[in-house]
Amino acid sequence: MKYVLLLTRGAWQENGSDRERAEVFDQIGPWFAKYRADGTIVEAEQLGEPGTATTVVLDRGGSTLIDRPLLEAKEAIGGYAVVEVPDLDAALALARSFPVPDGKVEVRPAVEH
Amino acid sequence: MFREEAGRLTATLVRLLGDFDLAEEMVSEAVVEALRRWPERGVPDRPGAWLLTTARHKALDRIRRDGRYRHKVEQVAALTGTAGRQPDDRLRLIFTCCHPALDPDAQVALTLRAVVGLTTAEIARAFMVSEPALARRLGRAKHKIVAAGIPYRTPEPEEMAERLQPVLRVVYLVFNEGFFTTTGPAGTRRDLVDDAEWLAALLAGSLPDQPEPLGLLALIRLHRARWDTRLDGQGRLVLLADQDRARWDRGRIASAVGLIERAAALGRPGPYQVEAAITALHCEAPSWDATDWPQMLGLYDLLAAVDPSPVVRLNRAVVLSRLEGPAAALAEVDALAGPLGRYHLFHSTRAELLRGLGRADDARRADQQALALTANPLERQLLADRVTVPGAGS
Repeated sequence: MKYVLLLTRGAWQENGSDRERAEVFDQIGPWFAKYRADGTIVEAEQLGEPGTATTVVLDRGGSTLIDRPLLEAKEAIGGYAVVEVPDLDAALALARSFPVPDGKVEVRPAVEH
Repeated sequence: MFREEAGRLTATLVRLLGDFDLAEEMVSEAVVEALRRWPERGVPDRPGAWLLTTARHKALDRIRRDGRYRHKVEQVAALTGTAGRQPDDRLRLIFTCCHPALDPDAQVALTLRAVVGLTTAEIARAFMVSEPALARRLGRAKHKIVAAGIPYRTPEPEEMAERLQPVLRVVYLVFNEGFFTTTGPAGTRRDLVDDAEWLAALLAGSLPDQPEPLGLLALIRLHRARWDTRLDGQGRLVLLADQDRARWDRGRIASAVGLIERAAALGRPGPYQVEAAITALHCEAPSWDATDWPQMLGLYDLLAAVDPSPVVRLNRAVVLSRLEGPAAALAEVDALAGPLGRYHLFHSTRAELLRGLGRADDARRADQQALALTANPLERQLLADRVTVPGAGS
């Protein structure tokens, strides 16, 4: 099954020093590389700072722009990964292995048509 | 018998169909058919096989009508009277119902519905929620199992200890609700205690190398052994200290002690085993006064080590009062006011200790607080008696 892992920005990313962030990214990099290599991760992206987000609100033909991300800063999404694994247990195990000091990972199945 | 067979059947069909609703519906229809036919034509020689065959035919009809399940037809067609006999199917079903990705309340409801075979109405009554609300909760959980890809499998040995925790918790909750209901007019529900015992026996039988299911089964069986002495002739609650020990079920107690010994031999103590050992020590004591309190305190220390919860510390304080007197115990209990201020047994325990210290007015006030915090009719009656009869129980 295909799942999308939504990765929040933890305190390490929001408030950590440059050095602390660099140390965490040194862990994250090989994690992505490993699971890309074995085909578990179909695609993944790190997202830019929440301050760079623009939200487009669509409403019956019209649209307006808002100069902020969808979610509150506390739960801001920092990246995502699309993964292909046998079942939810495998997806949860993968999410649990994400090597960051703190943060949240939402695991949601992709609807396959 | 229907519960036993229906649980097995549902488990088998869920595995094959990957669909809870369909499996439950087919089993319900088969049971209805049985209830209609058996009184007329007699119970077949092998009722379980009859039910399976009937449910299988109904599932096949449905599957043939519904293209989504076409690839399942062969599997269902291959089902014989012996399928579903492996405890594996039901075990898989329990672990799926108690998957940690499901809401804890939904885990309980789903287990009672799919594994024990209670109706939605029965579960709604037991937990005092409206039937539509419970149906929604069940529906959401079943949908998530399928849509989110929660696997229908028994956990691997290395993850078993972790995955067992929510399962044991569900069984323990069912037991507790039967032992002292938290809602509804009945003070106790032996049917729920029996359901919990059945579930615990299923787990203990299927996972013989896991000590905690044995501990939980022993715990339930010990409480079950004292069941008939918990209420007096007028239906009033009789506390452990005052129960007629000659009427306790010695066979059940011996069987439970055997389970505790088997669990202990596995060398991995856990909270259910220790709680069972505590209950066994009570069950083997000739009287409340002649209870081995020093050993009891040792067991509570062990329990606090594996389960450092305030409720355990509260119960430990009761033992401490037997050894060091009510003043020492009261100091321990008062320290728990923060986490347990809304727990009725915190206040009734304080009341008991205050009575021991001759502080009858303070004790009555504490009992009044306890009374305001419990809805159980048996406990309310006991507390109300204490509040209105000064000095009672001291």
